[in-house]
Amino acid sequence: MGFWPFSRKPSKDVAKQRLQVILKYDRAGLPPNSVEALKNAILNALKDFPFVDVSGVKINFPQNEREEKIELEIPVKADK
Amino acid sequence: MKDKVFCVTSGKGGVGKSTITGNIATALAMQGYKVVAIDADIGLRNLDLVLGLENRIVYDIVHVIEGTCPPEKALVKDKKTKNLFLLPAAQTKDKSAVKPENMIAIVESLREKFDFMFIDSPAGIEDGFKTAVAAADGVLVVTNPEMASIRDADRVTGLCEAMGKPEPKLIVNRLDPVKVKRGDMLDVDDVMQILGLELIGIVPEDKSMVAYINRGQPAVLEKDSLAGKALRNIADRLLGKDVPFMKLDSENGFLSKFKKLFGGS
Ligand SMILES: Nc1ncnc2c1ncn2[C@@H]1O[C@H](COP(=O)(O)OP(=O)(O)OP(=O)(O)O)[C@@H](O)[C@H]1O
Ligand SMILES: [Mg+2]
Repeated sequence: MGFWPFSRKPSKDVAKQRLQVILKYDRAGLPPNSVEALKNAILNALKDFPFVDVSGVKINFPQNEREEKIELEIPVKADK
Repeated sequence: MKDKVFCVTSGKGGVGKSTITGNIATALAMQGYKVVAIDADIGLRNLDLVLGLENRIVYDIVHVIEGTCPPEKALVKDKKTKNLFLLPAAQTKDKSAVKPENMIAIVESLREKFDFMFIDSPAGIEDGFKTAVAAADGVLVVTNPEMASIRDADRVTGLCEAMGKPEPKLIVNRLDPVKVKRGDMLDVDDVMQILGLELIGIVPEDKSMVAYINRGQPAVLEKDSLAGKALRNIADRLLGKDVPFMKLDSENGFLSKFKKLFGGS
């Protein structure tokens, strides 16, 4: 705040947001952004399949370094 | 069995581990419990300074491991605070001089004779940290409300879990209510949410802390110190007492004391 009382969000909120992302990757022992990148690549590939409900695709973040898989949930459209 | 051996650790350096270890140990000894504070920061000892005991050290933890003297004989008895003892770190050796099994052997040989033991961990996540944590029943993770320190605290938490320790309890140190209010410092709730740990203490930023260390006089001995009170509260929570967390709003600081002094609210 301070200098930009209306336009900027408090720096602590930015810190919190960043930390929440950083810790997810730290805990999983994965390189930064890698799961996001994987998700985007998969979403792109899924566009070719009309029966897939792309908006409902979920990718499961591993909770710690010992978890050895990333889970992917691909819902199928009701009116396929 | 109630937990009696606690390791104070943080990952990041300089967040207040030694200060907090010395103060909680003093606070419990003030209440009549027999307490040992063990400095596990081999080569960079500091806990003696916090307690004002640097001139009284004869033996250290490495002498004990080398068999020069038994653990009891290396303990430095605090004259200000009855029931408080320090097992100093060696200043001229390096971290490899104390192995996890050494720490466990020392702690176990003292366990029956004391009510509480606090192990002041070195910064980092390497062998020195692992040795410090090895003998502990419980872990207290210290963090400052600041990004790097929080990230390191999370890392240390994961390592403790991998070592089979119970989930650490969280101490947020150097909270500055003015910065929180301004929106430039994470609040305790934010830190708890990010780390997902149970909170056991909030210690405010205290400008006098450096003076207390200059004098070798822990803050808990100062009746009027807000940080001292916060640290005494942590000791009480370790005793199982249900002490509410202090309200640390920016009103609570210097200005309101100033106002009180002059008859304001
Ligand atoms: N609540 C506080 N308010 C103000 N200053 C503080 C507070 N807690 C600690 N400090 C100061 O921070 C500095 C570092 O503290 P301390 O030596 O206890 O950290 P540490 O985590 O043990 O460091 P290291 O990782 O080097 O062992 C000291 O100068 C101390 O006075
Ligand atoms: Mg220290």
